[in-house]
Order: sequence, then structure tokens, then C-alpha cells
Amino acid sequence: MVRLRRSYGAGPVHLAVTVLSLAVVAYSLYRVFGELSDPLRFLIWFGGAIVAHDLLLVPLYAVLGALVVRVTRSADPSNRMRVAALNHVRVPLFLSGLSLLVWLPLVLGKGERSYMSASGLSNDVYFERWLVLSAALFLGSALLFALRLRRLRTMPPA
Amino acid sequence: MPFLRPLRIPDVGPFRREFWRSPLRGPWLASFLSSALLPLLAICTLTGFLSHAAYDTDLGRNAIFGDRHGFGLYGFDWPTSPAWLYAATQGLHVISGVAATPILLAKLWAVIPKLWENPPVRSLAHALDRLSLTLLVGGSLFVLATGIINIQLWYPFGFSFVPAHYYGTFVFLAALGAHVAFKLPLMRRAFAKNGVFRPLRDDLAQTEPEPDLEEHTSAPASPALPTVSRRGMIGAVGAASLGLGAMATGQVVGGPLKHLAFLAPRGRGRGSGPNDFPVNKTFASVGIKRPMVGPDWRLVLHVGDERRVELSRAELLEMNGAMAELPIGCVEGWSTTQVWSGVRLGELARLAGANDPVELEVRSLQPRGSFSKATLNAGQIAHPDSLLALKVNGADLSLDHGFPARVIVPALPGVHCTKWVGAMVFREA
Repeated sequence: MVRLRRSYGAGPVHLAVTVLSLAVVAYSLYRVFGELSDPLRFLIWFGGAIVAHDLLLVPLYAVLGALVVRVTRSADPSNRMRVAALNHVRVPLFLSGLSLLVWLPLVLGKGERSYMSASGLSNDVYFERWLVLSAALFLGSALLFALRLRRLRTMPPA
Repeated sequence: MPFLRPLRIPDVGPFRREFWRSPLRGPWLASFLSSALLPLLAICTLTGFLSHAAYDTDLGRNAIFGDRHGFGLYGFDWPTSPAWLYAATQGLHVISGVAATPILLAKLWAVIPKLWENPPVRSLAHALDRLSLTLLVGGSLFVLATGIINIQLWYPFGFSFVPAHYYGTFVFLAALGAHVAFKLPLMRRAFAKNGVFRPLRDDLAQTEPEPDLEEHTSAPASPALPTVSRRGMIGAVGAASLGLGAMATGQVVGGPLKHLAFLAPRGRGRGSGPNDFPVNKTFASVGIKRPMVGPDWRLVLHVGDERRVELSRAELLEMNGAMAELPIGCVEGWSTTQVWSGVRLGELARLAGANDPVELEVRSLQPRGSFSKATLNAGQIAHPDSLLALKVNGADLSLDHGFPARVIVPALPGVHCTKWVGAMVFREA
């Protein structure tokens, strides 16, 4: 047991659970290769999802977030007004960006043909709808900020 | 001797622990987000398997991939009651998947420093952990992304969606099982130390970095000052999850709530007429020639290999009719309830002289496609609300909704409610 822990880095339960888990993964991939007409595309999408998230999406929103901090000049968190301004930009930006990400095919008008042949409708309304939603989010947030500003001004600093 | 020696790579960029500065990250935040994520993923997975069961893949050619069972040895016939069963389970599948997405992304944000941990590999066990986590991250993103893209009717994959989504789920579940088993103790320690909800009470001024419970967590080594409280961050993620979930819900519940489906793909009607509810395959797209559904159209009833009866639409309309208000639920997570009228499937079985049919294969005039035929089980044939519908809401079916005749059966997945029916084959026990 001590030898296993030293050479492997964890106990026997860890090894057993890992082996079991990887066995299920291996069997799933065996089925994928047996049944999908193009199993390589499966692997590309699987790996692509990781790369797209970890190496594209995360750096992208991190940089965007840092930009917002700079623009609202709220690097000094003791300034409550600036921090509030930051969050009143950051939250609608997050919600708008996320709804863009989730409904990206519709907003960009992807799959126009298949959308039409399924529903009999054009999917060209979604870009406009996303703009309307984003505008509403930013406007609502700005209104809330205006209301909060009045309160923040009358409060003593922390 | 260790199987793998820890190899430290130069402390540059994100490989430095000091690079990751958010004071919100730590075991409590990761555990809290996981606790919100797990029930949603459980609902999503369970309803996904129920959808597979709803296709009754052991009947006829209902299995559209794999052998008849694949992983799923369900062993029960899909029921006909309640009538909204499939609309509800598949609605929940899409709602929970869409609602889980912001929480998954937040959770990945909370633990992203671990992607860059240094040394990258400490032992063989650690290497396997990281492999398993790669499969977990890839699996969860893969199933959610393919599902979300598919419901928007865009098919850029280059593989067929159903088996990929199905087997991708097994990769995801296998990795998730191991992850939960290994991380449950850490989650318990994080909740024991901080309480499950206590950090939500802190406003911005009270927000402190999480203490490192042990060596390798996502808590920052040199935290910055916070610009948002934990409850602020969780509130924004929760609002995103609720908002997206509400959009998906609008596609299922209808009524005034259908306006919630603002950005959801299938929340739009086509007008206010009896046939203006949403459709999942238009007549124009399936390649049926117009004369095939003209006055010469006949419904042909078979029992086994024997051709028994031919009926014109007029003859069907003269038969003992029935009416049923039934939802039709799409695998893409939207549904709509309409009043259908036509002839009971049981009545057609009697007319064809089929005694206690155990299966009914319904064939569409549609020349191709996975769903140009579907096989129904005995309970579905016998249910008094199971119809070969000729009309909807008092008007003739439109071509898009399956004129001259379509199947509608309580709780049956929409794609199995075959449209443009040309023939029905009853099979006796």
C-alpha cells in the first residue's frame, strides 16, 4: 500500500475508480468509432470544445473584463462609486455576451436553410432581437445605477 | 520510487500562481457552483435517457443508430399517459441544459488556475486525474454545445448528432463520476469551514479571499482586492441561468409565457389560423410530389405481409370520428397543444381485421429521412386518443402539418407522429 502510494501518488480506491471511469470512456469511444460515419470529427469537436473554451473564450473575456476595469477606472476598489459603475457595466455585458454565445447560430443567421425547411420561417429576426435584449439590459442597468448614485452620494464613505 | 517525477516548468505567465488574482476563487466557490450544477445536469441526463426510451428503439426501425439498445437496456414500453409526458421531459431536457450553461462556464472560471498548475504533473495519479478532468471539461462542453447548436437547427458537425450526443454523454458521465467521487471530501471540507450559504451574506466590504484548505486548490496566492462580492457574482450567474432557462421554458408552456422565448429558436407561431402553430418539417422540404397527396391519395392498411384495405380521405372522414386535445412535443424542446380530429388507430386496426396488434409501422410518403417511418407499441395503438388525424382545430390539416393524414398519439415524440401517412402495417402477436 505504501509502495503504491509512493509510486502511483494515490491510494488503491483512486486507482480503481480511475480505471473504471477510463474503461467506460474507452468503450464509448469504441462505439463512436464503430458507429459514427466520421469519428474523427467527433474527436475534433471534443478537443475543439476544450481549446475554444480554455484558450479562446477565457482569455477573450478576461481581456474584455480587464478593459472594462480600465475604462471605468475602478482599479482602486475603495472607491465605491467606481466599483458600482464597473459592475453596472460588467453585469449587462456578461448577460448580453452570454446570450450571444448561447444563441450564436441564430443571432449570426447560421443554418438559415435548415431553419427554413424545418419551421417555414426565416431566422433573420434574431440579430435584431439580441440587440434589443442587450440595449434593454444596458439601459436597465444604467437606470439602476442612476438610482444608486443618489444613494451612494448621501452615504458616508466606508 | 515515483513513477513520474514532478517536473517544474519555468514560472512564466499563467504558470505563475500569482498570475491568478481573483479573490473570489477557492474551494467554497467551486463547491457552491457545483452544487447548483449537479441537480441541473442530473435532470438533463435523466430526461435525455428518457427521450431515448421514448423512441422505443427496440421496435421496428425506430433505432436510428447502433444496435437496437446501445448502452440503454430500458426494457419498458413508452407510456401514453400523461399525454404531456414527452413534452415535459424533453422540455426539461432543453431547459436544464441551457440553464446549466452559465453555471458550467462560471465553474470553469472558478477552477481555471488549475489548468495552469505547476508542476503540470506531480505523479501518475495526478496525470490520470488531469486526463480525467480533460475528458470532463471536454465532455460537458461537447454535450452542451452540440445540444444547444442542434436545437438552433444548425448542423455544422459533420457527424450525426444523435449518436455523438449520446456517446459523448457517456464520456462525460464517466469522467463526472470519478470527479464527484474524488472531490466530495473537498466539497464537504469547504462547506464545513465556510458553511454552505454563509459567504453569500458578505457584501463587497466583507469579501475576503478564501483560505487555502490544502495545497492544490484554486484559491489565489496573491489575491487582488475584490470588485464584486461572491453573492454579486453568483447572482449574475444565477440571473443568466434563470434568464436562459426562461427563454427555453417559453417554448414549452405557451400561452402568454411564450413571449419568454425571445431568443429561443422555436417560440414563434406563424399567425392565428388553425394551422399556424409551429411545424418541424415543412412539406416543401421533404420532396413529396404534389399529386401524391391529391384526390388519388389512398391510405393502405396492411396486416403483416397482407394488404387488406384501401381508404380515400373521404371514406376516412365518413368513419366514426374522434377528437383529442393533445400536445405534440419536439425532441428539440418545444411543444404545442392542439385539438386534433380523425380516426382512432384502434378503429383502423379493427377495419383491417388485425386482432390485438402489438406493433404498428406507420409509413410516410416522404421518400427519405430517418423518420419517414415509425413503429408504435401496443399501448399506443390501443389508446382512445391515438388518432390518424385528418383535421386540426376544426380545419383540414395543412400540407405542412401532414395533409392528407398524420398520426397523433399521447406522449409520443413529435418525430414519431408521422405526417403524410401513406400506409400502416399492423403486426399481430
